[in-house]
Amino acid sequence: MTMHKTMEPARRSSSMKQTRRWQTALHYLILTVVALFFFLPVYYLIVGSFRPSSEVLSGLSGFVPSNLSFDNYAGVFDHLSSDATGHFFQFALVSIIVTTSVVAGSLIVNSMAAYSFARMKWRGKKVLFLLVIILTIIPFEAVALPLYYMFSGQRDTIVIQAIPFIANAFSIFLFYTFFLDVPGEIEEAARLDGAGPVRTFFQVIIPITKPAFATVAILTFLSQWGSYLWPVLMVSDPTVRPLPLAISIFQNQQPPEWGQVLAFGTMFIVPVLAVFLIFQRWFVASISSSAIKG
Amino acid sequence: MTIPKSRRRAGIFAAVAAVSAAALTMAGCGAPDAGIAGSSVEAGSGEGTVNVWAVDGQAAENDALKKIISNFESSQSKIKVNLKLFPSDQYTKAVNSAASGDLPDVLAFDGPTLASFVYNGKMAPLKDSVSAETLSNQTDSIKAQNTVDGDVYGVGMMNAGLALWGNKKLLDSAGVAYPTTPEDAWTAEEFTGVLDKLASVVPGGKPLDLSEQYGFAGEWGTCCSAGPVIWSGGGTMLKDNKAAGALDSDANVKSLTRFASWKKYTDPNADGLAFPNGRVALSWVGHWTYPTYKALGSDLVSIPLPNFGKGTKTASGTYSWGMGATTKKGAASGKFLDFLMSDDSVRIYTDANGAPPATKTALATSSLYGPGKQLQLLGDQLSKACGPEEKITETCVSVTRPVTAGYPIVTDQVGKAEAAIYAGKDAKEALSAAARAIDQNFADNDGYRK
Amino acid sequence: MIMTTQTQKKPAPATAAARRQSSANLTGHRFAGPLFASPALIGLAIFLVAPFVLAVVLSFYRVQLNSPRPARFIGFEQYTRLFTDPDLSAAFGQALLNNFTFALIVVPVQTVLALGLAVLVNRKLRGMVVFRTFIFMPLVFPLALTAVIWRLIYSRGDEGLLNAIFGLFSGGALSSHDWLGSPSTALGSIIVMSIWQSVSFQMIIVLAALQSVPTELYEAASLDRANKWQQFINVTVPGIRNTLIFVALITTIFSFRLFDQVYLLSRSGSVDRGSTETVMTQIINTGFDNNNVGQAAAMTVIFMLIITVIAIIQRAAVRQRGGV
Repeated sequence: MTMHKTMEPARRSSSMKQTRRWQTALHYLILTVVALFFFLPVYYLIVGSFRPSSEVLSGLSGFVPSNLSFDNYAGVFDHLSSDATGHFFQFALVSIIVTTSVVAGSLIVNSMAAYSFARMKWRGKKVLFLLVIILTIIPFEAVALPLYYMFSGQRDTIVIQAIPFIANAFSIFLFYTFFLDVPGEIEEAARLDGAGPVRTFFQVIIPITKPAFATVAILTFLSQWGSYLWPVLMVSDPTVRPLPLAISIFQNQQPPEWGQVLAFGTMFIVPVLAVFLIFQRWFVASISSSAIKG
Repeated sequence: MTIPKSRRRAGIFAAVAAVSAAALTMAGCGAPDAGIAGSSVEAGSGEGTVNVWAVDGQAAENDALKKIISNFESSQSKIKVNLKLFPSDQYTKAVNSAASGDLPDVLAFDGPTLASFVYNGKMAPLKDSVSAETLSNQTDSIKAQNTVDGDVYGVGMMNAGLALWGNKKLLDSAGVAYPTTPEDAWTAEEFTGVLDKLASVVPGGKPLDLSEQYGFAGEWGTCCSAGPVIWSGGGTMLKDNKAAGALDSDANVKSLTRFASWKKYTDPNADGLAFPNGRVALSWVGHWTYPTYKALGSDLVSIPLPNFGKGTKTASGTYSWGMGATTKKGAASGKFLDFLMSDDSVRIYTDANGAPPATKTALATSSLYGPGKQLQLLGDQLSKACGPEEKITETCVSVTRPVTAGYPIVTDQVGKAEAAIYAGKDAKEALSAAARAIDQNFADNDGYRK
Repeated sequence: MIMTTQTQKKPAPATAAARRQSSANLTGHRFAGPLFASPALIGLAIFLVAPFVLAVVLSFYRVQLNSPRPARFIGFEQYTRLFTDPDLSAAFGQALLNNFTFALIVVPVQTVLALGLAVLVNRKLRGMVVFRTFIFMPLVFPLALTAVIWRLIYSRGDEGLLNAIFGLFSGGALSSHDWLGSPSTALGSIIVMSIWQSVSFQMIIVLAALQSVPTELYEAASLDRANKWQQFINVTVPGIRNTLIFVALITTIFSFRLFDQVYLLSRSGSVDRGSTETVMTQIINTGFDNNNVGQAAAMTVIFMLIITVIAIIQRAAVRQRGGV
């Protein structure tokens, strides 16, 4: 991550140093307030997951960490403990399989397409690329119904949950952006070594654009992990049901088991948080290392 | 560009045409099985594994169901049960999207959706599979819900009761006398006065819980608040399969407006615990809260819903059980259904969720709903069944929701209208818009006649 | 949508020359090119283009999901009904209005916020990673869960978190407000929730752009005695202009796709549907809950046309420097 000097020129008087300290303090203050705003609901989620359901929605005391226990978590697993209801780990496994398949497929397929648009010359390339850009406009919800209509004979499989999301216009666009930055000399060198486009791509380009792959991986993981609409349409069988579909079970209890909803939610976001924390260094570095090019 | 323009355009055209052709072919191949109007039940050998679909309900209900199934399996050795539970918000979609080969042998269904399931070819009539004894043991009000075009498609272990639960301590401290029988129900005007008095004895000044957290826009609105209010006010939702003139009648406008005027006395109850925690004195909700509410002990009283003119009314109907249209195990499924309806099973299930039993024999011996029992009011309301909307009188109490394949649009629009009215919109406008939408949908579907 | 920042302009001729040379000598590109692109393009064709075409086709029919009735061809009737039926056109128009209002507020606010946050986080201060992680957290929230949490926050009783916080700070002077049920605040509440969820995504992009503004420019400006604000206006903003435009464009597109949170929120409690319904929720409601697939398809087609026009206008109005 490139850091450039702050915008202040060097000054030597002590009153200026005092001002700097005030400014830094103010800076931290603003940062803390802002971070709080973003973090508060997350804190509420995690704390609430350890508290009794009846105390979850009691005004500000919902934030107080008291009466902590693992009861809600036990409750979630208890409820999802039979083949009839499906098991939590089963749902999680389905989600993991589907999401990683989509991410893996996405990384391969979209990067290849983007490389072909960015670096190769072939007939119809410009038109097709323009089409890809236009396709970023179409949200999934707009085609969900017709897609359901097309594939309603293939319901209740893991494959059908993953395949529609592998090719992704926005990912192609992102990869394209990063590939444009690769200096032509590198490919020139590879060509001089006698490498064809396939070898160039896999052995030369990919290693030096790893941050791009990390970026697309995180974003794809983020959006796939919580995917709800398509599984609702296509999955009835509990054995291939992904995680997001099960959260409503706890909301529909009498009275709603908010504690369990939050426990479920906390377990739900843990993998995503982990993925983010692992990759976040690459993520920021990758975008900052290339000036954003389209 | 190296490609001349005309060729490029032709190329794009060809591509689009190819894609459309592919799309239509796939649509044809993948289309859900339309056109299966009747059912094709095979009795089968009376043995084997029966696939059962139900809704993932409360933990206690699930446990009760599993216990009943294990009792069934140990009572005989020929039939096994494979149960699948679905989150309730996806259940109807799951049934509707199942291809005919994927339908289960036995499935639960929410009463009002039965007509549309039958219309879509998902259910089979029961008369050749379920014993006559079981069928005749069903109470009248649940029979009204489970009969479509004269054929019986479902049997129910339980019914649903609605009431205004009251906190006796708070009522007494406000000096409010409360009715305990349907004939003595508060009138809507009296009820406003009652709420006024009660506002002073609860923290927060909102003594009423209308179960707002369920969302009026969903089924809760239609069945259990808009429905009883409309019927009690002398109106109906549909008349002769039409909504205009019925749903938007002046009677409905009046009664729903009055209902919405109680919003200022209503606790939004986001946590669902307003009544047990003493934030409200009255809770307009169904029997299913009894397991939680009974913690109030002798302070818990059940009060009939307010009377908007034509006597107090409630809705009846809830999940029942039927057979999949294409099951190859009709005989085995029928045996399972018979077992579900046995007194023992009904008792286990209704003890777990506090529901009123829907079989005559179980209702008579119920520890909660029989004469002199704590929930007698709810049981009484159910036995004073009106049947469907057209047959409402001043003295009957529980009404079956409209039995029509178009029910999904009816409930969507009625719920939407109720939510809008509750939010302050003009009732006449909201109801007229809803009526127009319903009628348009019915017209598009030729009135949902086969 | 090609944009380059200033730093990249210099090496461009050299790269272009290298590119020209390498591609001219590699005849394999005629096959390799389409070959590389074909898996993705085929996937897009099957799962994006085909269903969209099908949606267009379906919009000319009267058809219901899972119904025994066959689809009936009715020409443009779904479209004419959408525009002439007072209920439908009013509802559709209202939803469009909500979408536009949403976009008009969210796009500038979120872009500016992203910029502000990026500037905030762009200092070499201790613990910056922690702050960055916190700000990024909402992105990991699945949309369904966001709706659940914010429903609890916006609950209209005294126990709703937002009401409780206001009550605390105002000492009880402010009475509890029905955030989602009152038409005046319903859309605003959803806007806040939506910004909370997605601003960090744009922030990261702007942050990267900020870090690639050459430091020499700042040094030159401070030698000219420009103060920090002047430097910001004259060095920073122009330096990241293209990125800001990029962010604004994708925010616009994403804001029209708004669906999950609104759909889940509006099914619960006492949400005012009139002021919060978006075109997408209406499409899903029409297609699935009202089982009117043809009507939903017509709405989809019209909506896509509108968004495409907006995107084109936006691009034409704010050209990127050096862009195509």
